[in-house]
Amino acid sequence: MSAVTDTDAHATPRDRLTRARALHWLLAVALLLACLASLQIGASDVRITGLLASLARGEALSQMERVVLLDIRLPRLAMGMLVGAALAVSGAAMQGLFRNPLADPGIVGVGAGAGLGAILAIVLGALLPTWLTGITGNQLVPFAAFLGGWGSTILLYRVSTSGGRTSVATMLLAGIALGALAGALSGILVYIADDQQLRDLTFWGLGSLAGASWAKVLAAGPMILAAIAAALMLGRGLNGLALGEATAAHIGIDVQRMKSIAILAVAAATGAAVAVSGGIGFVGIVVPHLLRLASGPDHRTLLLNSALLGATLLILADVIARTVIAPAELPIGIVTAVLGAPVFLWILLKRRGLVLS
Amino acid sequence: MTLHAENIRVSYGRREVLAGVSLIAQAGEVTAIVGPNGSGKSTLLGAITASLPYKGRVHLNGQDIATLRPWELAAQRAVLPQASHLAFPFTVIEVVRLGLQSGAAGDRSDVPLRALARVGLAHYSDRSFQELSGGEAQRVMLARVLAQVWAPIEDGTPRWLLLDEPVSSLDIAHQLQVMQIARDFTQAGGGVIAVMHDLNLTALFADKVAILAGGECLASGAPCEVLTDVILSRAYGCALRVSAPPPAGIPYILPHAASA
Amino acid sequence: MTRWRCRLAFFAMIGALLGSDPAQAQQERDILSIGGTVTEIVVALGQQNRLKARDTTSRYPPDVTRLPDVGYMRALSPEGVLSVGPSLIISAEGAGPPEALDVIRGADVDFVEVPDARDGAGILRKIEVVGDALGVPERADALEAEVGAALAEAIKTADRPEAGKKRVLFILSTQGGRINASGTGTEADAIIRMAGGINAVTEFEGYRQMTDEAIGLAAPDVVLMMNRGGDHGIADDDLLAMPAVRLTPAAQTRSIVRMDGLLLLGFGPRTAEAVALLSRAIYGDGP
Repeated sequence: MSAVTDTDAHATPRDRLTRARALHWLLAVALLLACLASLQIGASDVRITGLLASLARGEALSQMERVVLLDIRLPRLAMGMLVGAALAVSGAAMQGLFRNPLADPGIVGVGAGAGLGAILAIVLGALLPTWLTGITGNQLVPFAAFLGGWGSTILLYRVSTSGGRTSVATMLLAGIALGALAGALSGILVYIADDQQLRDLTFWGLGSLAGASWAKVLAAGPMILAAIAAALMLGRGLNGLALGEATAAHIGIDVQRMKSIAILAVAAATGAAVAVSGGIGFVGIVVPHLLRLASGPDHRTLLLNSALLGATLLILADVIARTVIAPAELPIGIVTAVLGAPVFLWILLKRRGLVLS
Repeated sequence: MTLHAENIRVSYGRREVLAGVSLIAQAGEVTAIVGPNGSGKSTLLGAITASLPYKGRVHLNGQDIATLRPWELAAQRAVLPQASHLAFPFTVIEVVRLGLQSGAAGDRSDVPLRALARVGLAHYSDRSFQELSGGEAQRVMLARVLAQVWAPIEDGTPRWLLLDEPVSSLDIAHQLQVMQIARDFTQAGGGVIAVMHDLNLTALFADKVAILAGGECLASGAPCEVLTDVILSRAYGCALRVSAPPPAGIPYILPHAASA
Repeated sequence: MTRWRCRLAFFAMIGALLGSDPAQAQQERDILSIGGTVTEIVVALGQQNRLKARDTTSRYPPDVTRLPDVGYMRALSPEGVLSVGPSLIISAEGAGPPEALDVIRGADVDFVEVPDARDGAGILRKIEVVGDALGVPERADALEAEVGAALAEAIKTADRPEAGKKRVLFILSTQGGRINASGTGTEADAIIRMAGGINAVTEFEGYRQMTDEAIGLAAPDVVLMMNRGGDHGIADDDLLAMPAVRLTPAAQTRSIVRMDGLLLLGFGPRTAEAVALLSRAIYGDGP
């Protein structure tokens, strides 16, 4: 079991808990500011300050303003918040469940399955019967990704659960096997894909909020919110799990129930997030890490702070993605990687002098 | 009120580790389980704490533990494991707080600090747990366990401490301190079952002793009845003499002769 | 009185010249052109003054690269496109993502899709669609006639008896030592045939990785590749040294042809030129 020591356990626990609670408010304010920035900044000249001024004067919004604000920026903002919070909370929950600070939400198989679903839809979508594509419309890829994510999570769960007990060690190994299998199947599909499909695949893998629409927000939103709410209740349980599964049971935690809720919540949240926005990396790993450094590993506050910080960071990453090479747009996965990788390295280097047990 | 383990059988695969062991522990008494390595002591404790699958029945304060949910069990008994793992960098006081049943109220309670004071580590409360030595970590875990069942009697029902080798990493002074904590707990009405390696400490502090060997209980009763030449030699497979003075010239230090 | 009339006539003439093309009366830049060939057609129809922005693949004529670039056409940014402020988008097939197009259409921007082409008729259709969208049908007709004639001429010149035709292998990329070549049903296949050649590979459709042996069996007389800017492409010597290629007739005669990708595969106004160039490159200057 790998664990990494923390540099400032010297602050009194009262301070750590207080600091963590203060962070709730700080991050909420940061989120609010990020939302405002997201509505204010964009490739076009539409500015929310200008809008409010016109509204105050009693003028109606122009069509351009209406489209940019209501059909582009606002749904992107909503989706960015949902996806960012989903990925960060899932990361924190999985790190707690697997007792490993390097775990990421994909560990329950969601990523491999969702990716495979997306590839299937992109490459073989034309072969599907019309009644099926009629239902999904042009949202075949998100549907397939979502089903793929769930399918692989259920498969992993069944493989690692016997006699009513889920073995996280088995889940880890089975996840590796499943990932390899998904990779092989993907390879076959990549081979038969044509040029355009390959480009679509690549872009899907890099992740983007460009396809944000109210339909997607309404489809993914409730599920993500419900899953996050469920995950937030796991705080005490995940704390106890840090002592080991046996001891966690001894202090009164229903370990199996907690595992099931955690896995289901992560599958739902991450599955929905990946389905609507493709493969966005680093948020699930880096956000919980940063928060542990700032205010300790108590999951009761870590999960909520992860949601807030994840949402804020993804919104800001999206602002960068859609303005840095305007009028073109950078896939958001590139922004999170470019920002996230150095931060991750910094975290690792910072701890290098300390004990790794 | 008792903890009654009936005919416990445990197998790892085909190998039978416990072949039908029974044990009755009374509240208000320290019951020690001793025996050689591999005799099944920790396994027996594992069955009693419902940590591993077993055949037979265990009744705690009159209720079959198999019918109780984890939190119902946790309200009546606390378990000190042999080794302490901690996957994340919690501080000492945060670890002790993990023992508390109620979440939010636990943060404001002073029980964790008092438990730490009982084991002599109140000044360590803000240290990172992962920086502690083996012995200190074990004492912090004991504090956690004490915090979980702080009142030895709750609603007229005795609560239990189930300890797996509680003094194995401690120096002699702390060994005495910890065993005294166990004794105090039982004198206030609680029950203690401890798996012990050290026969001298067992003799000093236990009210009842059960000795296991080869997955079976060889004998159980008062220390002077169980800790005899014959039984001990048979259990440990080497000639042991009880209460025999050692050869002259070699110093011997017995906990019996220690004083605070 | 006469001088006054002269001046009037002079100014009337100037005015008539300036106002002669009704479509150019309003010289507002309002078009976003997506697709290299679509942009070429817009320029060939004399409407380059109306171009406000283009996509990444639009690189000819070189002037258009000075216009803002909205990025890769299958990954458009809805706000980016709208910020450019076009009133009309003329796009090659396959722009996306679909949600972005929905939003753009919702902002009352006209969107005209130009179907892909792999033959002369298709090219003419492209010109017609673009011309209609731009409101210059007469110019489009003129351009179609010009292009159609030039293309027919080039194909006729390039044609030769079956026995005299050379086998051409189009290689898309050699990344990682693996050869990705064109089978049937692609623009590469079409242009090879127009230029009087035979596609050395007919066993599959589209672009595929081929095994070394399959390339040996294909026995191309000529290898055709796109000219990649800078040094992205593989050097001739390196290509000929690859085991798959080394034993082909093309390697023995060092027959490697490189042409600009947009010119070769774009299927637009310059395709006649492409056919002629390719044919000359394959067969030399003689018949």
